[in-house]
Amino acid sequence: MSWTRLVLANLGRNPLRTVLTAAAVALAVALVSLLLTMPAGLDLILDRFASNTRISVHNKAGVVYPMPYAFTRKVRQVDGVVAAAAFTWFGGAYEEAGRVTFPNFAVEAEHVNAVYPDYAIDPGQMAAFLRYRDGAIVGRGTLKKYGWSLGDRITLKSTVWPVDLDLRIVGEVANDTAPMLWLRYDYLDEALKKQGWTGLGIAGVVWARVSDPKLVNAVMRTVDDLSRNSEAETASETEKSFFGNFFGSLDGLVRIILVITSLVALCIVFIAGNTTSMSVRERAGEIAVLRALGFPRRTIVQALVAEALLVVTGAGILGVLLAVGLTGTLRTVAGWNQTLGPLGNFMVTPGVVVQGLLLSVAMGLTAGIAPALGAVRRPVAEALREVF
Amino acid sequence: MAEPLIVIRRVSRRYQRGADDVHALEDVSLDIDGGRFVALMGPSGSGKSTLLNLLSGIDQPSTGEVVVAGMRLADLDEDALAAWRARHVGLIFQFFNLMPVLSARDNVALPLLLTHLDRSERTRRAETALRVVGLSHRLDHFPRTLSGGEQQRVAIARAIVTDPDLIVADEPTGDLDARNAEEVLALLRQLTDQFGKTIVMVTHDPRALRFVDAAYHLDKGILLEGEAAHRADEAIRRAAGQPERRP
Repeated sequence: MSWTRLVLANLGRNPLRTVLTAAAVALAVALVSLLLTMPAGLDLILDRFASNTRISVHNKAGVVYPMPYAFTRKVRQVDGVVAAAAFTWFGGAYEEAGRVTFPNFAVEAEHVNAVYPDYAIDPGQMAAFLRYRDGAIVGRGTLKKYGWSLGDRITLKSTVWPVDLDLRIVGEVANDTAPMLWLRYDYLDEALKKQGWTGLGIAGVVWARVSDPKLVNAVMRTVDDLSRNSEAETASETEKSFFGNFFGSLDGLVRIILVITSLVALCIVFIAGNTTSMSVRERAGEIAVLRALGFPRRTIVQALVAEALLVVTGAGILGVLLAVGLTGTLRTVAGWNQTLGPLGNFMVTPGVVVQGLLLSVAMGLTAGIAPALGAVRRPVAEALREVF
Repeated sequence: MAEPLIVIRRVSRRYQRGADDVHALEDVSLDIDGGRFVALMGPSGSGKSTLLNLLSGIDQPSTGEVVVAGMRLADLDEDALAAWRARHVGLIFQFFNLMPVLSARDNVALPLLLTHLDRSERTRRAETALRVVGLSHRLDHFPRTLSGGEQQRVAIARAIVTDPDLIVADEPTGDLDARNAEEVLALLRQLTDQFGKTIVMVTHDPRALRFVDAAYHLDKGILLEGEAAHRADEAIRRAAGQPERRP
């Protein structure tokens, strides 16, 4: 006979209840652990996909406010800038009326390749993009999604500009990380002029590549100084920061999910506490007898809390392992399936493991202490009188 | 002359039950010598279980004092009393109150968890206690696989495993058939005769009078003395078909 055997024997009284409680706790801890991987995972995605030499220059008021197209030339002239290209949102919808299903921009064909050398666009395809005014470069994922091939012709109806453009797919970005399509800036400019407009004349964002990561901050300062006191003051930021702002809204979502998950974890604490409470209530007679035999209140509380801790912490460990297994599986599957690519960045780090385990211990203590203290609250004679 | 093992002096116990003020014991005084097997008898609600709780340190008197083996129990707080009970008192209940999830051996070894004995010594002592009560062939049996008489004998083994000064038994034959009740009473008698144990037993069972050294009678919280006690004793003996004792 040992304390361990006593605790384990008590856990085995109602195996189904123990297993169901453990399963609920394990799932809650797995869920929390998975969510805890999100901030680091998003950061990793940004680190992986954002260049450390590329910067975006956009209107200080926000990316939806344009800048004069001519400002692109000024950016190109800044020391340290290797290349810069204006990007203007075309907002083209393909087939599905009025809905944009992938980002598409009008870009400066002669400069864009130098800004995105990491896209490794085939030189022949790039040459075709320069040759054909109606040419388009499309991400491989987008090509696959719509069943397009090089040489196909498609029509995009702009939701921003009063034009529909017929495009010829001349190239692809094989290592794309998100849906994308580039069309030529001058093609849109010409189409607008045909509609009686004076031309495009604006840029939504100017993307620039800097020669050295160490120069990035200085270049951004210089660029923003160039536009100071103009009608369109600019705000430059790194590519990571630019996309981080988009993910920033996801951060809020993650926070909301974490709050909800914490509430779920709290519910699980209540469920586990209720289970412990039921178990203690069912054993009120035995606990009274133990106390009559001379077991101190402290010892009984410790044994009851140990039961709750063992179930909840054990389940917590399972939950963390489940999260590790799930993220590992996602990483493996993402290796096979490009469309799942970003999901492979969510990893259960040692920090998340520790947080998951601490959560389990906290849940076990919370679920165990209150019922255990309740079990020894009354004088032993009164407890014996009540149960016998 | 040696001091009695149990000294109860002018003890009263009152408690609240709902709106009622219950006078469970009134001004009870009693001495019990060591190495004796005594019975506390009386009708339901007479205060015999309350008296048993007081002399085993499970409860404290409202007034008066209880001294057991030289220890004045009123001087101990609840945790100290628990430690004292673990060392000096063995308890036997009417409904055996064994842990259903533990084997006979583990049930008996349970009180030894509070000692500094190592695991093998705890096991050895539990097996010895079970041998004393005649259950060495049931070591690994769980309570649900034992008869009522066997379960009570496991409970008796649990009560003696710590070698206490005092064994208290609350209606130990109350849930047993006649044959098992006789066996349990004989076993308790044997514990006094062979091991010198002091046993105080609350019982309604008139058969108990054949086994005990003395019987004390309570009625409405008062310990009967003199002629009243004799009359109660004789009434029980008559009910049990036993010969009357000479005063």
